[in-house]
Amino acid sequence: MLPSGIHFKNHAEELRLLRTGPQRIGFALLLLALAAFPFVANTYLIGLAITVAITVIAVAGLQVTVGMAGLLNLGQSAFVGVGAFTAAALYAHYDVPMLLAIPLAGLAAGAVSIVFSLPAIRIRGLYLALTTIAAQVVFPIVVLRLPTGWFGGSAGIGIDRVQAFGIALETPAAFYGVAVCVMIVMLLIGFNLQRSHVGLAFRAIRDNDIASSVLGVELGKYKIMAFFAGAVFAGVAGGLYAFYIRYVTTDQFTIWLSIWYLGMLIVGGLGGPLGAILGTFAVTVLQEAIHWGGNRAMGAMPQISGGIIFSVTNIVLGAAIITMLIREPHGLAHRWNVLKSAYRIWPYPRA
Amino acid sequence: MEPLQIAVEGTLTGLLYGLIALAFVVIFRASRIVNLAQGQLVLVGAYVMGTLLTILPLPVAIVLALAASLLIGVAIERLVFRPLIGQPVFSIVMASIGLLILLQGAVQLVWGAQTRPFAQIFPEGNWKLDALLINKRLLIGAVITLLAVEALRLFFLKTRIGLRLAAVAEDHFVALSLGVSVQASTRIAWAAGAFVSTLAAMILLSGNVLGLQAGDIGLRALPVALLGGLESLRGAVIAGVLVGVGEALAAHYLDPLTGGAMSLVFPFMLMILVLLVRPQGLFGWKVIERL
Repeated sequence: MLPSGIHFKNHAEELRLLRTGPQRIGFALLLLALAAFPFVANTYLIGLAITVAITVIAVAGLQVTVGMAGLLNLGQSAFVGVGAFTAAALYAHYDVPMLLAIPLAGLAAGAVSIVFSLPAIRIRGLYLALTTIAAQVVFPIVVLRLPTGWFGGSAGIGIDRVQAFGIALETPAAFYGVAVCVMIVMLLIGFNLQRSHVGLAFRAIRDNDIASSVLGVELGKYKIMAFFAGAVFAGVAGGLYAFYIRYVTTDQFTIWLSIWYLGMLIVGGLGGPLGAILGTFAVTVLQEAIHWGGNRAMGAMPQISGGIIFSVTNIVLGAAIITMLIREPHGLAHRWNVLKSAYRIWPYPRA
Repeated sequence: MEPLQIAVEGTLTGLLYGLIALAFVVIFRASRIVNLAQGQLVLVGAYVMGTLLTILPLPVAIVLALAASLLIGVAIERLVFRPLIGQPVFSIVMASIGLLILLQGAVQLVWGAQTRPFAQIFPEGNWKLDALLINKRLLIGAVITLLAVEALRLFFLKTRIGLRLAAVAEDHFVALSLGVSVQASTRIAWAAGAFVSTLAAMILLSGNVLGLQAGDIGLRALPVALLGGLESLRGAVIAGVLVGVGEALAAHYLDPLTGGAMSLVFPFMLMILVLLVRPQGLFGWKVIERL
């Protein structure tokens, strides 16, 4: 909600992502902070930020499929994996430049998702989750059985030197720049998709698929498009991941990761890309806090092991998801918007 | 091996899948909750029973473990799903994902990640019937599965309480307006679901090794439940047999050609093909929707 006194002369102005002067200043400051981050943070924090950026892209993709279109996807990490293997193979075997390999990875994941979403023409609702589980189960089986010359089989693919425009990206700080730029581009696509006619069709399907088909939304086509869009995000995230970790195997893309992605999205809120950002951020902070506390406790009590820290993280995330669904079903993003509108119209109470 | 032997083995394994799918269907059939944490429910039941078996005599441990599973089911209903009554189906599915992560973490925290032996409950080895070899543990499990499905069917179709549950499976608001308590139904659903899950854990793990990966069986059971139709009890078992036999045949005839891939992929191909023809599953309710 905006305070009184702000008027728009036409609809296009009202639809803008950044509508007022202060919003533009705020966004510029955010970009500046993102740019300044590698100069003030240590290597560990930069590495963490790269992981967050990659995860935000994957979760934003999940937001398109699950949040916007309301199609349950339990196989997002398989699509991340397809992207990672494609990017690694293109770069290692065919010398495709990194900045071309990443979008191609997105398209490859999208293409694979079309195969798995074709049943959407007939199958509805939760039964469709089956095909995403199928994607998750089939992915490692197929990658491991393909000729080792393609994806390296069980050994995986390694990437030795990463460079873009002839500049070697040897330090985490340099790769941070690439990851954040790709994240911003993908989030822009996400925010724009939400307000495009395709995004509106997705939301119509989510709210009531029969009603939307009566209104002229072609269900099969748009459901496949929703899976495709979500998988393109996943593939781009996978491409970045391949160049960051520089080593890809099927073990990195389990159903457990898919479930964690969903958890992050629920905590952040399914309603928009902002939910993906806040959710990934919140879960990462939670995870780091538990690791930090666990490491401190490990010094005092040697019987605490890494397994205990991992299981506590799971318990906290699981409890956080359930609490959010009971107390705040619209996620952190909704809290954030409430806070924002309260601040904007202060000192008047929120309507 | 001859085809008949393969079919028998597939059927017995399939009935075990069917039993786990049955737990899933029971919860859906009585509360309209899609329980993605099914594998973790089996996992919790397995660890509780495994621990009790190490300290108590066998019959006492089994009875106590099954009683504990009822309590666990009731606790899950009270803490997670009762506050969500009236929320969209989608929120409830998401809550079951939260439950999945929570239970997996809780089991690992309490019992640790290392594997442990699970006491032998059923006789091991095979019975010989002419040239056929029949696994004793799985055959007893199959009998338990068939008894469980028929008992639950009687409960759902012949008793007053069971018939009320059908209203809840149809629609929460309709049920509430007819004076059916969604709370009570959900409680029954989870108690029964956890009970059947613990039964399944018992058959799955008797004389085997118990580890955190026992929860992965849920991933095989969910597709079976979808194939059978989410509302159909017998459907879950029939779908289990279909998948089990299909898997066994694929493992024997197609795996040598594809490097062991086909037995894992084939069930999914079968399920997607069936769902293309019957989108509500083999025996699911065909719901006529209106705007």
